[in-house]
Amino acid sequence: GAMMRKVILLLLLLCFTAHTRGKLHSPPAKPGLTSCRSPEKETFTCWWKPGSDGGLPTTHALYYRKESSETVYECPDYHTAGENSCFFNKNDTSIWVNYNITVVATNALGRAFSDPVEIDVVYIVKPNPPEKVTVTVMEDKGWPFLRVSWEPPHKADTRSGWITLIYELRVKLEEEIDWEMHLAGQQKMFNIFSLRSGGKYLVEVRCKPDHGFWSEWSSTSYIKVPDYFHREKSTWILITVFSTFTFLILMWLLHMNRHNLKHCILPPVPGPKIKGFDKQLLKNGKSNQIFSALVVPDFPPATSSNYEDFQVEYLEVYVRREQELVLEESKDLHNSCLKSESSTSDCDSGRGSCDSHTLLMAKCREAKEGERQTDRECSPMRTEAQRRLKDWEEEALNYAHAGIVSLEMSSGRVKTWPSVFSPLPRYSSSPLDQQSSLQMAKQLSLSTSSYLTQPGHSTKEALGQSYWDLCLSSKQPHLLNPPTPVCRELQAHSDVNISSIGHKRAPAGPRSPALHTTEYVEVQRVDNKDTLLLQPVVQGCGRMGGCFQMPHGEVYSKVKGVDSDNVLLLQREGMGEDRCPCVEQETNEVTGSCHKSCTVSTTQKPSGCIYTAVPVRDEMATMANGYVDTATMCTLHTC
Amino acid sequence: MRIIQRGVWAVLLWPNLLASSVPLDCREEQGILSRCPSISQEKLLDRVIEHAELIYRVSEESCSLYEDMFIPLQFQRNQVGYACITKTLPVPSSKNEIQQISDKWLLHSVLMLVQSWIEPLVYLQTSLDRYNAAPEMLLNKTKWVSEKLISLEQGVVVLIKKMLDEGMLTINHSEQGLLQNGVQPQMLESVMRDYTLLSCFKKDAHKMEAFLKLLKCRQTDRYNCS
Repeated sequence: GAMMRKVILLLLLLCFTAHTRGKLHSPPAKPGLTSCRSPEKETFTCWWKPGSDGGLPTTHALYYRKESSETVYECPDYHTAGENSCFFNKNDTSIWVNYNITVVATNALGRAFSDPVEIDVVYIVKPNPPEKVTVTVMEDKGWPFLRVSWEPPHKADTRSGWITLIYELRVKLEEEIDWEMHLAGQQKMFNIFSLRSGGKYLVEVRCKPDHGFWSEWSSTSYIKVPDYFHREKSTWILITVFSTFTFLILMWLLHMNRHNLKHCILPPVPGPKIKGFDKQLLKNGKSNQIFSALVVPDFPPATSSNYEDFQVEYLEVYVRREQELVLEESKDLHNSCLKSESSTSDCDSGRGSCDSHTLLMAKCREAKEGERQTDRECSPMRTEAQRRLKDWEEEALNYAHAGIVSLEMSSGRVKTWPSVFSPLPRYSSSPLDQQSSLQMAKQLSLSTSSYLTQPGHSTKEALGQSYWDLCLSSKQPHLLNPPTPVCRELQAHSDVNISSIGHKRAPAGPRSPALHTTEYVEVQRVDNKDTLLLQPVVQGCGRMGGCFQMPHGEVYSKVKGVDSDNVLLLQREGMGEDRCPCVEQETNEVTGSCHKSCTVSTTQKPSGCIYTAVPVRDEMATMANGYVDTATMCTLHTC
Repeated sequence: MRIIQRGVWAVLLWPNLLASSVPLDCREEQGILSRCPSISQEKLLDRVIEHAELIYRVSEESCSLYEDMFIPLQFQRNQVGYACITKTLPVPSSKNEIQQISDKWLLHSVLMLVQSWIEPLVYLQTSLDRYNAAPEMLLNKTKWVSEKLISLEQGVVVLIKKMLDEGMLTINHSEQGLLQNGVQPQMLESVMRDYTLLSCFKKDAHKMEAFLKLLKCRQTDRYNCS
């Protein structure tokens, strides 16, 4: 009894557990309609997905209802479209009609209904992919392209216009990843350009109805583009060859003309074109040779060059009275020479050479040396002074011999000189004859500058005359320093006219021997027109004579210097006597007031008198050739 | 000289004189259609088809707009099909039927559809205007559609005249509003009613387009409809 009940209970429990462990039979789960599609708007297919079947064999059924009626129909075809599908054929398909479709799952224990789905066939059209896709390579003037053509899916009735399809294709190279899409519209043919030669292409096509879903891609078509690169290559080869030829020819031409090119691009630096200049000498570094080579033997040109080319300003000397023109040679010469020695501030044209006293003085002295041998005296200073004086005298004689030359005013240029140079006083103790004086003059002129070579002594005289002229122009206190270098240089620069005058007048010179009287002219002033106003100076032994009196002791004044205010600082050299006569200046004639200071030294040494002169008028200060300073000076008479 | 010039101009332009004086293939009917240069039948049909396509596209957009906004639940969307107002119209609904009917009948069907929707669209417009939250785009689209429908009607009328050589079909809107007939008692809710209208119209627009395209491929083989 009790045992049996226990056994029965155990068995029941076992049965129950066995029952529970096994599949639980239950009514099926709810199926679900996955999709319905119509490939051509004439038929359609619906697919469903069954739920769990509950362990029991389950059957599914599809029921549908059209919108206008309540009649429920069951799916006519479960097999055509595969498993879990329902195929509606043409007869069963109505367009523009809503279908209410439900799927029912049934098993032994129960049934399950899916959610109903409303469909309109028109809106669920998804055509089949296009068919008969063909791809061919077409040639277009050597540039191939692909032509893709296809057919619409055979079921789709595009012919009657029942369904209108638009197509799309995609292309890619075999090795690529991304597709290139092309929309073809309603046409069934498409061209693809810009192909890579020798490439393998993949082509696919799909279609879509005007209102519907895209179809699946068609099966891939493969196509290989033939190699057409050689065409391009041949063109490139041609171009390369042609350009190479052109390049070679150009290079050849350049090579042939490289010299011209060189001249064009890098013009040669003009070398020195001085006659006689030897670059090699320069490179060697021997400057002496160079410069000696530069010396042209026949320079200045011996031809009758036009002296008018020498651009020198001329001084115009206005002569009032011919007879009264007295040359103050000594004074002027002296002054100018002194100035040339010591002045440093005046370097104007015509005066430049005056300032280079080293060279000129040297030449000066050279010239004088030979001449003054005989006249040498004990005191060196004296000798020099004497010598200088003698020189001066000679030159004066020269001029005298040269004669009076009338003022040459024709050309409007300077030339006062020859006429001014009335016979010079003969103060020298040893008068020289004309010839000798001439000779000396020549020599003197020669010695000064070598560059001014003139034929004939007449020209020399002219030079001398010009020199004299210049000396005249400078209003210097009568300093006895022979102004040889200065004046000679000035000669050189002097007017051609003057020289020509001299040339002309030279023969006339001796014609006027009458003028042997000495007359002195003071340069009064220079007016605005650069006219030198001369005034005869009263001969006075006391003044000028005294100054020239050599036996009394040569009294010279040297121009020590010119200060900034155009003041000529004179140093008087007193010889012999201690007294230092100070000479009054002629204020009236000259300019304004000048004052002087005088220092007296008792020694034999040359005493220095320092005279200062104040420039009176500014206009006088600026004379043509810049002799200014002297001109502005008041005439100071040395002791 | 001037006379010669004028003479030359006259000679060159004389065909125009003739042309302007000859009435072309246009018929004056009730003042609607005046003298006009003739347009080919194919072009006219193409234009009508384009028109119908455009109307359908816009109606589809407005319907989906409305659905998204006012009909969120799917089951509500399924209730639409039953209350279309034009279901009473003798319009073919299957391909077989359509392929069996004649061109004339196709055109007339189209015309019927077009004409039957003019009024309801106006009604729909007024109904949508009463909404509080109707989007501007929806209103514009429905307005546009109703306007275009009228021009489509005109085009179809001309097409009928051209293709079928029929007399002028009077555009009679004397019919009783289909809307009243088709009003479903249960469709009192304005939202559902408007949605029904929109979806039904969308369907009918598609019908019109399909009919016209069919007609086109029937008419001209050279278009190669296939």
